[in-house]
Amino acid sequence: MEVALFGNPNTGKTSLFNILTGSYEYVGNWSGVTVEKKVGILKESAGRLIDLPGIYSLNPLSKDEGIATQFLLNESFSVALNIVDASQLERNLHLTIQLLEFGKPVVIGLNMIDVAKSRGIHIDEKALGKKLGASVIPIVARTGKKCQFLSKQLTPREEDAEPLHIDYGEKVEESIDQLVSLMPEDVRLNKRWLSLQFLEGNKVVRENLTSLIDKEQLNKICTELESQIIIEKDTKSIKQYLYAKRQQFISEVVAESVEKGQTSGRTFTQTIDAVVTNKFLGIPIFLLLMFLVFTLTFNWLGTPLSDGLDAFISGPLTDWLKAGLTNVHATPFIQSVILDGIVAGVGGVLVFVPQIFILFFFISLIEDSGYMARVAMVMDRVMESVGLNGKAFIPLIIGFGCNVPGIMAARTIEQPKERLLTTLLTPLMSCSARLSVYSLFVAAFFEKHQALIVLSLYVLGIIVALVLAKIFTFFIKSEGSVFVIELPPYRIPQARTLLRSTWDKGKGFVRKAGTFIFGGTVAIWFLSYAGPHGFDVPIDESFMAVICGYIAPLLAPIGFGTWQAAGALVTGFLAKEVVVSTMNVLYFVPDGQTLTGIISHFYTPLQAYSFMVFILLYVPCLSTVAVIQKEAGSKKWTAFSIGYALVVAYLLSLVVYQGGQWLGLH
Amino acid sequence: MILTELKPGDKGKITDVSKVTALVQSRLLDFGVLEGKEVCYKYALPFGGPCMLEACGQCIGIRRKEAMCIQVEQS
Repeated sequence: MEVALFGNPNTGKTSLFNILTGSYEYVGNWSGVTVEKKVGILKESAGRLIDLPGIYSLNPLSKDEGIATQFLLNESFSVALNIVDASQLERNLHLTIQLLEFGKPVVIGLNMIDVAKSRGIHIDEKALGKKLGASVIPIVARTGKKCQFLSKQLTPREEDAEPLHIDYGEKVEESIDQLVSLMPEDVRLNKRWLSLQFLEGNKVVRENLTSLIDKEQLNKICTELESQIIIEKDTKSIKQYLYAKRQQFISEVVAESVEKGQTSGRTFTQTIDAVVTNKFLGIPIFLLLMFLVFTLTFNWLGTPLSDGLDAFISGPLTDWLKAGLTNVHATPFIQSVILDGIVAGVGGVLVFVPQIFILFFFISLIEDSGYMARVAMVMDRVMESVGLNGKAFIPLIIGFGCNVPGIMAARTIEQPKERLLTTLLTPLMSCSARLSVYSLFVAAFFEKHQALIVLSLYVLGIIVALVLAKIFTFFIKSEGSVFVIELPPYRIPQARTLLRSTWDKGKGFVRKAGTFIFGGTVAIWFLSYAGPHGFDVPIDESFMAVICGYIAPLLAPIGFGTWQAAGALVTGFLAKEVVVSTMNVLYFVPDGQTLTGIISHFYTPLQAYSFMVFILLYVPCLSTVAVIQKEAGSKKWTAFSIGYALVVAYLLSLVVYQGGQWLGLH
Repeated sequence: MILTELKPGDKGKITDVSKVTALVQSRLLDFGVLEGKEVCYKYALPFGGPCMLEACGQCIGIRRKEAMCIQVEQS
């Protein structure tokens, strides 16, 4: 049995999904956290639950909203589970009606009844269910209240439900009849629903219908109806007319099932909003919060933990492994591959796990609390000046964690050109993988100002993205940027959800350490162990040194023309953490010392900063390139995203290094 | 009068949204914001930044130039 989960954004859809399926999915408190359809196994009954992106209506405005409509048209399912926000009932019911018109059995989860009650709204779920012709179950998805009961209602039905039938008035009904009669007999979907959605202007349905009915005929029916309706009914479009008809039906339903009492005064959300979206304080507060997050991640919490882990891996763990390997009489080759290759490479990356998890924890906190939408609002003016809108800032922030989900989050942007721009610029956001490189360098060179130096790189990434956005808009002509966003009420994130969310984001990093980085370091170790003159050669005569020696001179003007640096950059294309593992292998860290300790012999602080700037910008990693290709759908743009990044990285590092030298820094 | 002429915190009844960009208009319709609805103008961010409205029990952020296309009647 397949159950599809539909609902407006910010109604607790993903929370419900997590409770019903027992498995974890990403939860957030801003429109568009679910950017792809996700599937989980239902706990109570044998079946699968499909989580779809949040939508206000089946008529999509953005790419992610289109996914839900595509699903209805192309996939089969037994029951639609519609989650409805009780405190926003009327708005939510517009989607419910469209689902009921579709004709599949619908179960309604009436969520946030606690919030509704506190606002003085009392809903008689039996009366509501009776009017709508579907079962309505009040739940609180955040706490799991009544969710098991809801789950038991999700049973496969023998027959499809009787579709809801609203009388849309003579003219519309005539057009529907016309359209229905034009459709071939074997159409699997509800023909009335298809006609209605088409008349409303649903692009996805329209595309579907043009394969069945002649385009000219479709257009004719639509324009005829429009002209009649606008004159006779004093309305502006068919869409608005249908909306009004549905609203009329909803008002009747609500009149019989909802009682509204007195609402209390200023809410919790209003009080916070008065500060965080304050005219003058909004942006400073945002920057201050980000600085606090970085200080916590680096100076206060993350670094002590990482240092401890580093000392453990390079000290006791290496000694134990060495003793163990000697005991089993492992050959020097095996000893070298394990100790100098795997432990140095994979271990060198794993030491950054604490910092990365702390950063992910804060990103989850920002998402779940509802602050993200405020950030979009506060940043809109800045984004507008470079031809983007405030919503594009959300993918950028998510990109701080990992560029891949960041790029996927760009789907919530309505205008295709703005979406493309955001996709191209998100890789400039300094992801957590790059963090491992900075952590290494700031600990070695900028011990006193770690958080500040790292923050400067994050800010540099944002500034470069904004400047490039401005430049790119001269070439990619925009259709005119728009911005409209719902600011959901603040919700105190639950510890359990936060921890799961942090783990969900961070586990990819740990998994990468076991796959990509493991494989990568073994390969790098081998290339540094073997050379043109045989095995176990001095590292300066290895294949690695020979190959990367050709690239090194190119990097000399930007401050790090060594074959080791070149090697780290080349292998960093696989994943940015590999830069650190490669350095661990190539700089051949002696026993009892850490890479942090010896790297200061190979770079000056200015060279180190120039290197970090280059790492920040130079190319998106392999996984990011793959997702750009998928989202932009064009090889040209993918190649462009790599090319422009290399050019910009080289130029900026050149400015930093040469400029720094000119100023007398070293 | 237009929406942004309301004093921050004041309420008005919407009389016309048809001049607003089509995409924004569609989204506002999704939120239930259309002619005849009451809207509260909360405030606008500085330097021509977006403004915040409260309508139908939810807070919405839109750009000032869009807000200036919304006609209201003070209530």
